[in-house]
Amino acid sequence: MTGSLAVAGVTPRDVVTPQTIEDLAGVVRGLHAERKAFAFVGGGTELQLGNAPRALDTVVRTSALDRVIEYAPEDQTITVEAGVTLAELDRVLAEHGQMLPIDVVDRERATVGGIIATNAYGRRRQRYGTAKDLIVGVGIVRPDGVRARGGGKVVKNVAGFDLPKLMVGSLGTLGAIATATLRVYPLPASLRAVALHFDGAAGVASAVAALVAQRFEPESVVVYNYGALVVTFAGTAGGVDAQIAAMLEPVAAASGCVDATELSDLERESYEQRERAVRRDGEWRVRVVAPPAYPVATLGSFAASAPLAVPVAYPLMGIALHAHAAGDAPPERHLIDLRENVAAQTRGTGSVIAHAIPDVARPHVDAWPTLLPAQYATMRAMKNNFDPYGLCNPGRYIGGL
Amino acid sequence: MSVATVPDALSARFAAIVGEKNAIWKPAELRTYECDGLLGYRVRPAVVVLPGSTQEVADCVKLARELDLPIVPRGAGTGLSGGSLPSTGCVVIGLSRMKKILDVDLENRVARVEPGVINLDISRALAADGYYYVPDPSSQSVCTIGGNVAENSGGAHCLKYGFTVNHVLGLTIVLGDGEIVQVGSRAGELDPLGYDLAGVIVGSEGMTGIVTEALVRVMRTPARTQTLFATFPSTDEAGDAVSRIVGAGIVPAAIEMMDRLAIEAIVLATGVDWPLDVGALLLMDVDGVDAEVEETTARAREQLEAAGSIEIRAPKDDAERALAWKGRKAAFAAMGRISPNYHVQDGVIPRKDIAPVLREIAALGAGAGLRIANVFHAGDGNLHPLVLYDARIPGQEQAAEHVAGEILRVCLRYGGSVTGEHGVGHDKACYLGEQFSADDLETMMLMRTAFDPERRFNPEKVFPTPRLCGDKPGAYVAHAVEISGEAGRG
Ligand SMILES: Cc1cc2nc3c(=O)[nH]c(=O)nc-3n(C[C@H](O)[C@H](O)[C@H](O)COP(=O)(O)OP(=O)(O)OC[C@H]3O[C@@H](n4cnc5c(N)ncnc54)[C@H](O)[C@@H]3O)c2cc1C
Repeated sequence: MTGSLAVAGVTPRDVVTPQTIEDLAGVVRGLHAERKAFAFVGGGTELQLGNAPRALDTVVRTSALDRVIEYAPEDQTITVEAGVTLAELDRVLAEHGQMLPIDVVDRERATVGGIIATNAYGRRRQRYGTAKDLIVGVGIVRPDGVRARGGGKVVKNVAGFDLPKLMVGSLGTLGAIATATLRVYPLPASLRAVALHFDGAAGVASAVAALVAQRFEPESVVVYNYGALVVTFAGTAGGVDAQIAAMLEPVAAASGCVDATELSDLERESYEQRERAVRRDGEWRVRVVAPPAYPVATLGSFAASAPLAVPVAYPLMGIALHAHAAGDAPPERHLIDLRENVAAQTRGTGSVIAHAIPDVARPHVDAWPTLLPAQYATMRAMKNNFDPYGLCNPGRYIGGL
Repeated sequence: MSVATVPDALSARFAAIVGEKNAIWKPAELRTYECDGLLGYRVRPAVVVLPGSTQEVADCVKLARELDLPIVPRGAGTGLSGGSLPSTGCVVIGLSRMKKILDVDLENRVARVEPGVINLDISRALAADGYYYVPDPSSQSVCTIGGNVAENSGGAHCLKYGFTVNHVLGLTIVLGDGEIVQVGSRAGELDPLGYDLAGVIVGSEGMTGIVTEALVRVMRTPARTQTLFATFPSTDEAGDAVSRIVGAGIVPAAIEMMDRLAIEAIVLATGVDWPLDVGALLLMDVDGVDAEVEETTARAREQLEAAGSIEIRAPKDDAERALAWKGRKAAFAAMGRISPNYHVQDGVIPRKDIAPVLREIAALGAGAGLRIANVFHAGDGNLHPLVLYDARIPGQEQAAEHVAGEILRVCLRYGGSVTGEHGVGHDKACYLGEQFSADDLETMMLMRTAFDPERRFNPEKVFPTPRLCGDKPGAYVAHAVEISGEAGRG
């Protein structure tokens, strides 16, 4: 079925699924020789992201590239092919009490290549960073079909230009991610969360400030629906105990919350489901990004259309996620208004990225904010160097890259 | 020989941009700029300029381009791979006058600094507020942020918190055409738009342009730090202790190892009361919230004991802690106490292989009749073998260089890297061709030329060339699209 593989609304003519990396390189070489436009798809969980590609002949799936190449638990690193799903990785790593702490919507489908290409992250970015912080090596297939590597399999390495960093978040516009070496982390001995409920945003902000002032080390800090602050701690039993206790008593009291409770595993999981929902549901899905001192949770929402999921914000990271219905015409106004609103409130430092856009609105809006001309010129030069014929996911990324 | 008293025409043009006293052209004054921390190489630049602003940097770059001169950026010149070694006839752009901390924004946990700011000065400026800049190269009291950015410098505490690249959020850079470009985060926002240009510039060894401003992350100082110090009969047990700690999922803030020879030099130089009759010593920090530190320290102790430690000490207070770390940070300089000369090597191996690799390194030294001291970032597997020699003895310097090179090949054989933090620079360009294939290097060149299509910045660095390395495999071949000119800046 190619219909389900539409990339930002564009259905490819063909879908091929190479079985090996050699195969992948061969397929790309062939497409390059024929000057066919192509895009890479892993689990297909983020196909809505970005603008409609200008051309798309073939989707190249990486899903069959699903081998674990080398796992060194004593070194806390793993090298895998790009099509390995996060669920599979979880199973392999759990055998040695380890994990890849990147949150995605659907671990059974999301692939390592996909999370690198989209720089996907969720609440645990607070503690562990994103693929940018965890990737130590990458093997790619360039748009001309040439295989190349950057980085390595050791956790520290400054030899040569940092190809792994460039690939993170490049949305498949510079080539295919074929293999990756990632740093992994131990599963925490203890994992517990508290929820503090507030009447207003001011209370949330003061609780977050207290957490920073106390030098706590939370694994994640999430605000649900503008009023519920869920803070998760991961680490040794005693360390987690102490921080949980401090959240429930002094921090809760000083920030004027109406209710503070520790969450059961089930309750914690149910909050995490809401986090996944806002990244999955809704015809409009947006991410607001701003310097964290701005009250990001309340910065922006679509006034004009119904929320389809509980809004979620990461106040320490300055990131908020919203999912809404398509709403009434003209639908593109929703995004334009939100952008203006966010820019006005952040002196131009905040921006809005659309993860999903209703098909009717696609022709009228840009999924990405506008780049400064000088920045754009350098990115364009990078794209031209890697893909001079513009075959690789052309136009899907920011500024038409 | 007559001594020039007026600047030549070329220097005069640069002086017109930066001011007469900030253009250096007198041979005696140029000497300071002829090399960096990689001793043994000296090249005289045509002129050195010390601009005072981003605009002056841009004007110097434009002029250099007009005159078709290579440009070599320079911070404090402490680099150990020849990164700021001049190219023949080049203009050196030194950033040492641009040393202002422009803005500290604790609400967003960022600071905006000029490139000539000394690493430690950021933490000093923030100390009263309980914040600090995390990456802590041993040279942090002298090296600049611009140099740190170019080298993606590391330090002992990068084990838990990441390297320079994880702490630099945004940059202002002057490109080869003199264009001033801001990349990455502007004010502390975490998801800058588009390709991660800042991530590519960090570690690009001054080959993408001149960094004139950096927006760095600053962090709260940890609630508590516990230092542990453990001695072992040999590096075998100490290496085993490191793999046990990492394998047990313990993430200390730092784990540093010193072997017998390094301990001897450090004790002689600093007077710390470390025992001299041990084979190796681990110095580690555990930091975080109180209870967590307590438990993690206890777990680490168990692993140290299980690996066969002789003695474990826990410094009682900050003064004792500072002393232990002072010993570590003085290690390179201390080598002078036990050897007239030494060659600092920098390579990386998987952390599980420390013990066998150190044995191979010792054997290489023994084979060449040279002593090798080891003092390094063990938690990251980042080795710093110091090959000791006496330049007065004919042949020893070459022998030391040869051994140092062979050590890199050992690192590669274990699946490691030829540099963990000192960079490739001039020193290791040929070894880069052993670590990466021609296609890999060509791809890196595509990255570089996106910023600097004319390869004006730091030419002859990092990439192996036939001129530097002979016709070895892996030498760089220009990309077809580069030759055809299809892949220019668009
Ligand atoms: C005793 C000693 C201990 C050391 N310990 C460590 C350590 O623990 N960890 C570590 O990582 N390194 C260490 N180093 C190496 C060195 O200090 C670092 O590489 C440091 O970052 C270099 O900074 P610098 O200001 O001296 O830069 P320089 O040596 O002047 O330059 C280094 C590179 O940066 C480029 N450059 C400088 N400024 C700019 C700019 N503004 N824009 C673009 N490019 C620029 C230069 O062209 C060159 O390629 C040590 C060195 C010494 C001498």
